[in-house]
Amino acid sequence: MTRIIAQARKDLTQILRDRLALALALILPLGLTALLGTAISLTVTDIPLVIQDLDQTPLSRQYADAFRSSLTFRVVALPPATSPETALAVGRARAALIIPEHFAREIRRGRLAETQLLVDATDTNTALLTRGGADQITRAFAQQLGPAASSPTVYAATRLWFNPGREPRKFYGPGMFVLALSIFPPLLAALAMSREGEQKTILQVYVSSISAHEFLLGKILAGITIGLVQWFLVLALMFTLFGLRLAGDPTPLLVGSFLFLFCVVSFGSLVGAAIPNQAAAIQAVAMGGFLLAFLLSGLIFPVENIPAALRWISELVQARYFVVVVRDAFLQGGGWPAAWWAVLAIGIIGLVYYGLAWRTLRHMQVKA
Amino acid sequence: VKRGLRRLWEGRFWALALKELRQIRRDRRLTISLIVPPLLQILLFGFALDADVRDLRLGIVDESRTAESRELISVITENRTFRLDGSYPTTAALERALGAGHLDVGVVVPSDFARLRARGRPATVQVLLNAVNANTAQIAQGHVEGAVGWLNRRLDAARASANAGAAAEPPVADVSEGPALAASRVGPGRVEIRTAFLYNPGLVTAWFTVSGVFGTLIILNGSLVSAGTMIREKERGTVEQLLMTPASALEVIAAKILPLFVLLMGMAGLALAVAWLAFHVPFRGSLWLVLTACACCVLTGIGIGTFISTLARSANQTLLISFFVNPPLAALSGAFTPIEAMPRWIQPWTLLNPIAHFAAISRSVLVKGAGLEVVYPHLLALVGFSCLLVGISAWRFRRQLG
Repeated sequence: MTRIIAQARKDLTQILRDRLALALALILPLGLTALLGTAISLTVTDIPLVIQDLDQTPLSRQYADAFRSSLTFRVVALPPATSPETALAVGRARAALIIPEHFAREIRRGRLAETQLLVDATDTNTALLTRGGADQITRAFAQQLGPAASSPTVYAATRLWFNPGREPRKFYGPGMFVLALSIFPPLLAALAMSREGEQKTILQVYVSSISAHEFLLGKILAGITIGLVQWFLVLALMFTLFGLRLAGDPTPLLVGSFLFLFCVVSFGSLVGAAIPNQAAAIQAVAMGGFLLAFLLSGLIFPVENIPAALRWISELVQARYFVVVVRDAFLQGGGWPAAWWAVLAIGIIGLVYYGLAWRTLRHMQVKA
Repeated sequence: VKRGLRRLWEGRFWALALKELRQIRRDRRLTISLIVPPLLQILLFGFALDADVRDLRLGIVDESRTAESRELISVITENRTFRLDGSYPTTAALERALGAGHLDVGVVVPSDFARLRARGRPATVQVLLNAVNANTAQIAQGHVEGAVGWLNRRLDAARASANAGAAAEPPVADVSEGPALAASRVGPGRVEIRTAFLYNPGLVTAWFTVSGVFGTLIILNGSLVSAGTMIREKERGTVEQLLMTPASALEVIAAKILPLFVLLMGMAGLALAVAWLAFHVPFRGSLWLVLTACACCVLTGIGIGTFISTLARSANQTLLISFFVNPPLAALSGAFTPIEAMPRWIQPWTLLNPIAHFAAISRSVLVKGAGLEVVYPHLLALVGFSCLLVGISAWRFRRQLG
């Protein structure tokens, strides 16, 4: 035990001396989480819209005003002698509303008045939101028109749970919490381990009396210590900048976080032991940690949308389970019944990484 | 004089450039990082970054248990947005399942649903949506409301035709349209909006991501690779040897940049080919325009990489420093998420991001088929960035040599 602590102290001292690594460990997680958490969102408001009103009646203007006053759209002027298609092609607007001639007359005669919405579908998600917004406005406008036609038989009362304001920050904030913890702790662990290989100091470890498990546990302990500091920093950011509160029992989050740190630090140590070159190890962790956590864990985009051929990979990514634990702790508040399996999965993946790192460690001597 | 100058330039310059090329080729890690990460990234990003809303798990509490309630449920689950996951005996059980994350949407049909509907009185159906993911919730809400609206119109039409006997207008003609097309066709004084999706009518998300990620790929990998090559002389202490050659500092820098430029353009071509072959991104506009923008992007990437290498002392330091540069650059580029969805105060800053300009160009040209007359502001900005960054980094590199 004393040997484990001594090893951990040595590694911590090495990191504290490296100012660049220290900045990377403490400042970058905070900065990145704040930046990504605020900047990333898929929900576009203020979609630029041009309106071509061929009818020019009070009623058609009233319809156009409904679009103008909505938060989803921002009406930009259509320059004279420009077709709506051109406005879309040059990127002046993302959508174009065309109100046909005789719009008001058709309505007054009780016939169907058909307007057209052209949507720039280059960004598919925004295109869907645009259509949804326009549909809603049109439905509301139609209901205002005649009391006879306005009483719907079936009425859907929608309740939005867990995030009633549909605030993107509350969704992406916890995601970035996971992202920061899946990049930086393993990065430092990989650096510390591959340094031993690169500078051949691993040979000194072999001739010392420390066992492989003690050496590895010491490294992991140092990694977890730094990881916990990062965890506190980023958690403070969640409470302040993102306005999140713990929704229920916090113990799954605490246990899950500890296991997750153990898991990613073991992963970093594994990579560092396998690649005795610091630069290459950094790149491998960046690719593995960042790409897998960013893409295959449901941070931004639902895991269910990944093609089945790739989806099985996400089952092996520890961040995918930690996302479940963190979102549950901050938003849903389901506690252990909802999150026990994810915590368990993180622990199992962590043990697998630890075992692999221990095995690889025994071959480091050959490479050095 | 002219010929002599040219011979001098060519002979020495090519010798240096060849030396760089051979060094890069022998460095296995650099060769790998020129090919593997870009390919992997474009494939992963293209396949995995998909915000499409489909197959949401739907749970139902059917207290009514009538043909009418089943009709409502079948209307909601008709398209692929929702997938019926299970029925629950009570609302409390449904709420528990929603809280535990087993469900995304819950629908509660009240016991008096059929009775109220038969009397023509409004019947309220409760829809519970897990709104943790704001985007999914918004689109799902639109789908539910659209489906219910469609059902209402069908009921109205049925009632109208029952009342009037043979109606003048055939109102049920649009049943085949499905509830996703929330269009009101029937009834007096109705307004309908028809939506046409231009440029990407099939709503293929990969076209958006791939055309945007492309620029991220070029700049990020380009800067990593060029930082790796630029730092090598410094790390191994061969700078003195370079200084002893008759080559001027400018020649040394140019000879370092040229092979990198050629290799990175090759990487960009590879990525374009993948975009075309694997994701069928349409190449509607001029390929030359895209390649010009690629060239600017590659130069920008080289500039960033060289600049980072002048700050660092070793290869792993260049990588650590690039952690401070690359993620913000990628996140604020609009490649993954639309710039319009960012907070208002961040949006102007994206004008300083070369990746954002490149994404705008590649999306306009590839997907929308736009020409130079549309994208020239972005291209000018890119040219400006590449000149500026290559200039600054060449100057710093030269100072280091001196």
